[in-house]
Amino acid sequence: MATRPTDISLSPARAVPTSRWFVLQYKMAPYLFVSPFLILFAIFGAYPIVKSLILAFYVTNGPKSAVFVGLQNFIFLLSDDDFHKAVWNTAVFAFWSVFLQLPLSLGLALLLNSRWVRGRELLRLAFFSPNLLGQVFVGVLFSVLFIPQYGLVNRFLHFIAGVPLDTKWLANPNLVMPALVLTSLWMYVGFNMIYFLAALQAVDKDLYEAATVDGANAWHQFWAVTLPGIKPVAVFVLVMSTIGSFQLFELPWIMLNNSAGPDQAGLTIVMYLYQTGFVTGDLGYASTVGWTLALGVLIISLFQMRVTGAWKGGD
Amino acid sequence: MRFPYGPAALSMLILSILSGAWLALNPIPPKKATLVMWTFAKTHYDAYKQAIPSFEAKHPGVKVDLQLVSWQAVTSRLQAAFLSDLDVPDLVEVEISAAGSFFRGPLKDVGFRDLTDRIKQSGLYDRMVQARFAPYTSRGRIFGLPHDVHPVMIAYRRDIFDQLGIDVNKIQTWDDFIAVGRKVTIPGKRYMLELPDSESSRFEPLLYQRGGGLFDPQGNCTMDNEIAVQTMLFYVPLVAGPNRIASDLGGGQIFTRAVEDGYFLCMIAPDWRSKTIEVDVPKMRGKMALMPLPAVYPGGRRTSTWGGTMIGITKHCKYPDLAWELALHLYLNKDDLAQRFRDTNILPALKEAWDHPAYDEPRPYWSNQPIGRLYAKLAPDVPFQYTSPFVATAKGKLSEALVACVQYYKQNGDKGFEEFVRKRLKQSADEVRRLMRRNPY
Amino acid sequence: MKTFYRVVRILVNLFLLAFAALTLTPMVWLLAATLKSPDDLFSYTFFAPRISTFNFRDLFSTVPFHRYMINSVFVASTMVIVQLFFSSLAGFALAKYDFKGKKPIMILMLSTMMLPSQVLMAPLYELIYRLGLVDSYAGLIVPGAVSVFGIFLFRQSILQVPDELLHAARIDGCSEFRIYWDIVMPVSRPMIGAFCLISFMGTWNSFLWPQIILHKTERFTLPIALNQLVGLYQQQYGTLMAGTFLSVLPVIILFMLLQKEFIAGLTAGAVKG
Repeated sequence: MATRPTDISLSPARAVPTSRWFVLQYKMAPYLFVSPFLILFAIFGAYPIVKSLILAFYVTNGPKSAVFVGLQNFIFLLSDDDFHKAVWNTAVFAFWSVFLQLPLSLGLALLLNSRWVRGRELLRLAFFSPNLLGQVFVGVLFSVLFIPQYGLVNRFLHFIAGVPLDTKWLANPNLVMPALVLTSLWMYVGFNMIYFLAALQAVDKDLYEAATVDGANAWHQFWAVTLPGIKPVAVFVLVMSTIGSFQLFELPWIMLNNSAGPDQAGLTIVMYLYQTGFVTGDLGYASTVGWTLALGVLIISLFQMRVTGAWKGGD
Repeated sequence: MRFPYGPAALSMLILSILSGAWLALNPIPPKKATLVMWTFAKTHYDAYKQAIPSFEAKHPGVKVDLQLVSWQAVTSRLQAAFLSDLDVPDLVEVEISAAGSFFRGPLKDVGFRDLTDRIKQSGLYDRMVQARFAPYTSRGRIFGLPHDVHPVMIAYRRDIFDQLGIDVNKIQTWDDFIAVGRKVTIPGKRYMLELPDSESSRFEPLLYQRGGGLFDPQGNCTMDNEIAVQTMLFYVPLVAGPNRIASDLGGGQIFTRAVEDGYFLCMIAPDWRSKTIEVDVPKMRGKMALMPLPAVYPGGRRTSTWGGTMIGITKHCKYPDLAWELALHLYLNKDDLAQRFRDTNILPALKEAWDHPAYDEPRPYWSNQPIGRLYAKLAPDVPFQYTSPFVATAKGKLSEALVACVQYYKQNGDKGFEEFVRKRLKQSADEVRRLMRRNPY
Repeated sequence: MKTFYRVVRILVNLFLLAFAALTLTPMVWLLAATLKSPDDLFSYTFFAPRISTFNFRDLFSTVPFHRYMINSVFVASTMVIVQLFFSSLAGFALAKYDFKGKKPIMILMLSTMMLPSQVLMAPLYELIYRLGLVDSYAGLIVPGAVSVFGIFLFRQSILQVPDELLHAARIDGCSEFRIYWDIVMPVSRPMIGAFCLISFMGTWNSFLWPQIILHKTERFTLPIALNQLVGLYQQQYGTLMAGTFLSVLPVIILFMLLQKEFIAGLTAGAVKG
């Protein structure tokens, strides 16, 4: 607090008003400005956090009746096959999202950033456009595109690769995940590409020139200049898309007709949370699932930042 | 003066004010209805729309608000309404597989009124098909009035059968049916029967046909008993492996095209689905017909049951007597039921209603068969099915077992199959049992 | 060497063009499907020779679709205004003031961004239930009135505003709120544009929370209404596609108007932070 008066008179040439009201409003301003956030956070953030920690130790039948069960929920979680399935499905989805989507996004961004490309703005727009459609709307659209025999996806794949026309993407447990990954690829490749492209454009041009003078080839340049240059953004995209993947719900829920799909092949963690909490009415177990999810996301994000950070350290 | 915060903020402000004003000028009309009723089936909705005016005429001043709620949403919305005590309807039609999930928790917390006394005292328990009360009964208390019986037959492409020289009278048992099926099936082009290999909706009727089920009357999970094992051993080779005679594409317009193209020759068809087929595949008028389900052994049961609906009265309802009267009005009026049968093909659960001549009318779509009589003849044989709050879970687990068995069979054929089926069904049943044990209520 | 580069150049352009076409195909199909009669829907892969308005007529006659659209517009635009105000205000405070508790607040914000919002859904629902806000738009808007992501965005962009500007205003006797309102916000116009779209899209497309909170069908927003439509009219693919098309159209229009600012705003946080 002691530093404040010096703050207010940055340039001593002309002084700011020194009336008591003026000084007071200056001092209070930041607190007032962040107070809506703090108040709302206290009510709709902090309280639910505490409450959901408590709820995790109850079995409930809606918000009206609850039975304390101690650690039972957590113990049950360990042997709950449905939950395990949800975790597995979500992890598989996250894996493909990261390892298929991000390289593709980066590749597109690199191509788009090359000096040979014409109509860069329009192409960027086209790649990005699917992201404008929300998951629900994409879900409805793709549930029709994926229908067997007459759907566009099957007609296209039949035409180019001879895939059987009656391939039942959304009714075959083995194909549900590929269908979901494909759809999310369509939705998010362009979205992530935007980040990579912005990062590529921000890389210092002089560094490339220096590398060229040193006789580095394109591949070398990519490793020595481009990748380190875009690393902060890449880490950001990696962490964000992993977190996003772990929250997957709407897309499969809508595509699979408000269900987890055949053999629960589209069951995700958040879907399981929704079903137990809001269809069965067990808000307690739903909280247990939620906290497990939060913990998982935290660990994975930290791990990713650590690993990518270590990679920098060894550079 | 220019707006200093840019066009985006300005347009948001304008949109917010305009839409807000519109919503303020067009408020949601307050519901003045005495009774609010939800149904999830479009066919029921249309039928009840016609039946309600006469009820309102009989009870001056009473207004019934009938709402159509999507089938997927009815369970979660009703559950949400019960949990938050908000917008709970007075009467609800609930689908048979969803009904059980409302019987979770102590009896006093069940959102539906206990109708047992009303049903027993009015003699309805004997006048309706008794098997149909079972799915709506929990711990001995009945929470709903059955809407239907839903006996199962097989719908087939009569024209193609004639061309191929197939005599349906010679198809008495599943063995007969399969023998014909092997002859006519052309993989990828034509299949004898429509059966899915990824979910259990049509496995269940075949399980009930053999006297099996997901639960016993006490609510214990029975989906791994000998009957279930035998049903699985029968079902899987129909949909997988070298001798498969069945396939499945999906519903709606895909189904329409598939039937028109002769992709399936036969479909499992309870009464309600015979209507769906009429509506979805109108071009097949006069080319379709119905036959009883083949028996498991000579002289065995020639039908089963698939689907169903109950009507329940919620505890929230302020006029339970009036609601009960509305339920009876919709479910017992013989002339209305007859008309509804003409519109929906659904055989009512009230046995005495079947005398009506409407059930003997020949139907041009079904090659002039009197389909009402055909279904009514099978109705007394409809098997019991019992429920539990865990019925939705059990169905999911059964589907999982089915998928696993299909996969095993595709890879390994008959080798070790029976052992695998036993093990897999037991695993699914054990998962259901473990969930049931966790329930503190 | 020159011909080699020319070939590469053509290949790269062709590839990108093909990829763009592939990306746009589903949307073109969607547009085509809305204009086909039910009989033509699967008979023609894309556009049919006869244009039919059946799907749109069917859509508006079976459900009050205009009401759903207005509901969505109201919820989304109101949410944008509310979030815009609170988030930029907090962002300003965090960018331009040193005050006690600033660090803890920043850490708090970062950690809430890591916490999946679904974790809090169950108790939040209970809270909204007790506050009597179930089945109301307040139940949607109030808990989400401040966007943490928005605070970060605005902090990021307001950091660039020169301190001298603010100081000069103070000398002229401007109150801190006037500085925010008359100087900082007008200068942050590009970020406002970007944030409007980001926030609008977020609310417009949100499904899970409205699905839990809204009960009366007349109050439904588009995602829930469309989901309900799928259940009731599963057979009518054309009608469904018309509903989907009208649901995504407003966002696309908005994006077309704001795309430059939007992309700049989207990447600002990541590239500079």
